[in-house]
Amino acid sequence: MLEVIKPGLETSIQDWPGRYGYLNCGYPWSGPMDSWSFRLANVLVGNAPGDAALECQFIGPTLKFQRNTIIALTGADMQAKLDGEPVPLWQSIAVNAGQTLAMGSARLGARGYLAIAGGIRNEVFFGSRATFNKGGLGGMEGHALKAGQVVPVGEGQGRAGLKVKEAARPVIVTDKRWQVEVVAGPNDDWIDAAGHERFLATDWKLSSKSDRGGFRLEGPEWTFTERAYHKLPEHGSDPANIVDHGYPVGAINLAGQTPIILVSDGPSGGGFINPYTVPQCAFWKLGQSKPGEVYRFQVISVTEAQQRARDMAARCTPDSLE
Amino acid sequence: MAHEVELQTAGNMWKVLVKPGDQVQAGDTLFIMEVMKMEVPHEAPAAGTVSAVNVAEGEEGLEAGFVAVVID
Repeated sequence: MLEVIKPGLETSIQDWPGRYGYLNCGYPWSGPMDSWSFRLANVLVGNAPGDAALECQFIGPTLKFQRNTIIALTGADMQAKLDGEPVPLWQSIAVNAGQTLAMGSARLGARGYLAIAGGIRNEVFFGSRATFNKGGLGGMEGHALKAGQVVPVGEGQGRAGLKVKEAARPVIVTDKRWQVEVVAGPNDDWIDAAGHERFLATDWKLSSKSDRGGFRLEGPEWTFTERAYHKLPEHGSDPANIVDHGYPVGAINLAGQTPIILVSDGPSGGGFINPYTVPQCAFWKLGQSKPGEVYRFQVISVTEAQQRARDMAARCTPDSLE
Repeated sequence: MAHEVELQTAGNMWKVLVKPGDQVQAGDTLFIMEVMKMEVPHEAPAAGTVSAVNVAEGEEGLEAGFVAVVID
């Protein structure tokens, strides 16, 4: 059991792969923004990689443990202290009943993950414990953590002193520039050659109007192929309008002239085109980037993206520990 | 004693509500940051006179830990 003293900016219970399989009902998959760090936190404490754990965004929470357990912190460096003593990242550590973990502001990266041996045992809603904060479902009473709540935790078999090998950790950039892999489509045929060239040659800046629903990008205007202008009226009047369709998770959704990457809590459908999609293997980079940082996109094939996702999953196992 | 008010989060500067020379009370809001579509107000830790304001409205890509305001 974990008592919430201070909730942080928006700290939520997530699991992996989240509320998967309900996009057709309008429920986003939720789940962690950086599933690589998330899964490694669980592996460190002896949990299954997808067990429920905490995602701490930008300003971390202060939590009090009500019994002895094993925890691990991964992802962003949020300057966590256990009763005033700095806590190392990427390691499993023992905590005692009555100790307080205070997390501060994210310095390197944006989202820190806290896994607890036994995993968090909040109520399962539609197959997942993940929080969809804006939608008010999953997590604790449908939302991110609030002060005074007590988070239920299971019994675990973790042990202290394990570390994630350096080579198995994601590397968070220090120069504010991210190279992010994308796959083309589903609507790449609505953008003309100049538009594609411009997309791939631009430093897209991440807006502060970005959250777990969407990541808004600032950059140049888009140009379109003929089909964006000469289409049946039911598609809508804007070149970026299309008859309502389903949006893939990670879609770079073109809302008029503004690209918005649809992330973990994003909408499942609508009437804008999606010229590119950020695949699962690159998603963690979005989770660790901050407003004002820039993305440069690089196209890879679907086959390559799938291979990289498998490689990532292979790293999120006890084989990566020492 | 000088109080340095650091940015609690990375993000953009939405509103700056004080200027050098202003008198503030403990708990007064000094400036408001924006991140994840949320406002993050920063308050004065103590009463005093604002001696430095190192941030401006509209600044982007600020880092947590930066000393934004100094109160003497």
